[in-house]
Amino acid sequence: MLSYIAKRLLVAVPTLLAVLTVVFFFVRIAPGDPAFIILGDQASQEALASVRHQLGLDQPIPVQYVVFLGQVLQGDLGTSLVTNRSVWGEVVKVLPYTIELTLTALAIGIVLGLPLGVIAARARNGAIDYLARFFSLIGLSFPAFVSAILLLLVFAIQLHWFPVISEARLDDPAARLRALALPAINLGLIMVAYVMRVARSSMLGVLGEDYIRTARAKGVPARMVIWRHALRNALIPVVTVVGLYLGVLIGNSVLTEIVFNRPGLGKLIVNSLNQRDYTMLEGMMVIYAFFIVIANLVTDLTYGLIDPRVKRQ
Amino acid sequence: MKHLTLFAAGGIAAMALIAAAAPARAETQLNVGMAAADLGSLDPHRSATTQDKAVIGWMFNGLVRFKPGTINPEQIEPDLANTWESTPDQLTWTFHLRHGVQCNNGFGELTSDDVVFSLKRAANPKTSAFSSDFADIASIEAPDPYTVQVKFKKHIPAALGLFTNYQGGNIVCKKAVEKLGADFRTKAVGTGPFAIAEYDPSQSVTLVANKSYFRGAPKIDRIVYRYIQSDASRDLAYSSGEIDLIYGRQDQVWAQRMQSQPHTVVDVFGPAELSDISLNITKKPLDDLRVRQAIAYAINRDELVKFKGAMTASAAVSIIPHGYLGTDEHAPLYPYDPAKAKQLLAAAGYPNGVTIKAIQTSFPSMLNTMQIVQAQLKKVGIDLQLDVVDHPTFHAQIRKDLSEVVLYSAGRFPVADVYLTQFFHSRSIVNTPTAVTNFSHCGMADQEIDAARDATDLAKQKALWKTAQDKLVEAVCAVPTYEQLQVWAHRDKLDFGYKLEASLTLGPIINETTTLKP
Repeated sequence: MLSYIAKRLLVAVPTLLAVLTVVFFFVRIAPGDPAFIILGDQASQEALASVRHQLGLDQPIPVQYVVFLGQVLQGDLGTSLVTNRSVWGEVVKVLPYTIELTLTALAIGIVLGLPLGVIAARARNGAIDYLARFFSLIGLSFPAFVSAILLLLVFAIQLHWFPVISEARLDDPAARLRALALPAINLGLIMVAYVMRVARSSMLGVLGEDYIRTARAKGVPARMVIWRHALRNALIPVVTVVGLYLGVLIGNSVLTEIVFNRPGLGKLIVNSLNQRDYTMLEGMMVIYAFFIVIANLVTDLTYGLIDPRVKRQ
Repeated sequence: MKHLTLFAAGGIAAMALIAAAAPARAETQLNVGMAAADLGSLDPHRSATTQDKAVIGWMFNGLVRFKPGTINPEQIEPDLANTWESTPDQLTWTFHLRHGVQCNNGFGELTSDDVVFSLKRAANPKTSAFSSDFADIASIEAPDPYTVQVKFKKHIPAALGLFTNYQGGNIVCKKAVEKLGADFRTKAVGTGPFAIAEYDPSQSVTLVANKSYFRGAPKIDRIVYRYIQSDASRDLAYSSGEIDLIYGRQDQVWAQRMQSQPHTVVDVFGPAELSDISLNITKKPLDDLRVRQAIAYAINRDELVKFKGAMTASAAVSIIPHGYLGTDEHAPLYPYDPAKAKQLLAAAGYPNGVTIKAIQTSFPSMLNTMQIVQAQLKKVGIDLQLDVVDHPTFHAQIRKDLSEVVLYSAGRFPVADVYLTQFFHSRSIVNTPTAVTNFSHCGMADQEIDAARDATDLAKQKALWKTAQDKLVEAVCAVPTYEQLQVWAHRDKLDFGYKLEASLTLGPIINETTTLKP
């Protein structure tokens, strides 16, 4: 098992290097000048040149690449061009917010989406099924920033239950929970829609299988048939979707973070892009790619838990 | 169905429970919402972005200052210097500093040593974005700990302006700059009413009152300046009472909507930022004066103002903003006359119309201006093609001289010389070693601009600036469109303590006179 994980992580190294290289060259091909963004529109050419020199941006790009690669191989992601703070430090600062948001949204998605999917499948073409499908369609087609503003209007402006500025210090758990609630619900509801749809269709497939009929014929209680025999077999596609969507979720969190004013990885990436903060962007992309690798790995390991046949392979 | 109801009820109950854990708030805290993703730099010599200017204004002093709420160079008053004098030729200026002014964050007393260091730093292109403003300074010296003497190589207009609490004139504390190094950008130290306490990237900057401020301790204990990028959430945060002072969208719809909010004051103030459309006179077909005149005749300023809203915008009066020292308030701008525009186009050899191209920022308020201009030009047969790019790309490309037409919106130090030099002097032509923001390549008023700079007589200076503006208007180096005022809003429990007519920091000044009732 451990050697499997180690092998998978080792395979990820070239992937990360490729991501790094692509990002490095792409951000430099894009027009825009970090020195200009630092100094503003009244800066003289001389001042701009001096800042470019300080940042090492006057070196030929291949030289910059080699220097950068050397740094990364030593585990140093460098410092932000704009704020001069350590990239790793900035990431570590916002990471808890991104992780808590992503995991909570994921939890909401699974806890609500899975049972809803099962219930809808059992009541196929009944009122509940139509209702659930209708709501999941809304969940899938609603842009995250629109639902975010609707949530704010209702729960922050009308009911005053939650703040609009969903920011809280890490050492204040109560405030943190309050700040997490709306953004997590916003992302979570989209997740519910995804999970519910996949769980429902996967369940429908399984419910038609021979072994379900056999179980029923043997007089196994309906509850047992559904939750024990059918669900476990219907879970694989659900796990796949959740795993794939985990990456999307981290990316999707950008809009949620912006609308709810939450610190987070997504917001940091967009800001660095707008500021042409090359080093920050490169660091972020590596970390982001690493997350996707981990998410895929966890997905694969979960397959083994659900279906022992996968583990044996 | 039972399950669904149960889920819904459980969810709502959980939300209510989490909501019940409400936070407590003590001391007087002013919460500000700014439309930006993040801080640029708090180093006053390095920062030129709107989101930084306001905060810097709360943290720093100049040797002299504009009277709070005004930007009139004739109403400059003492700040760090109690008194000052200049020789009759205005080449030597002597400033006498206040005694006992303390640098924030425990960096000791501010003396002439700090002032000399700060002004030299502002004049150095390696450490300052505004070094060119100080190019004519010959020496900066400190004869004693409370006296600073500045000598100029030659006479410059409004020399005292260099020592105001604006850009390079903001005085930084030497020990702090030396100790903090690159961190000065986010931990800047001055002598102002507020001092930096914390910076939370992409989220906020927190300032605390400087209890030993030389004009008296501020009545507000803490300012939390939040970067709230999304317009909708910033407005919602104001509605929910989480922010007290809000940076506004510069349009009338926003201003009117805020006015209808309870206990809200909308602040519309100067300086106005002028939107000029520069035409590159070296590129075909714009090298033909008739084509440029046709464009000038085809653009309807009043329609633009109507679209932007008369409450926050006004028609341009010249190619430089109105109200500056030396602005020709009645420059001979081309009136709206589409028939004349068509005639001129035909005479220039384009009876069937002509195509011109512009690189345009996606920045909403600038993009919609250009879209209206595009529609206006279409009516006379000019096809303005917009290549829309993101804001950093726009700034990079127009400075490489890649756009035939450039819409640029700007305000500068309120003396004609600055705007004229940066936008219309041949020294400032883009893509040259001395480039600033001359996108038109015009240089026909260089003589007058330079002569006005050297003139010591104000009347003569003004006459030269007027001739310069007339020449540039006539040659259609740029088509002036409209001026946009600054728009903010605040709760009526916040009282600035002065009348806000204009502010060079583009935001309200918060100082020891500002109060915030609970």
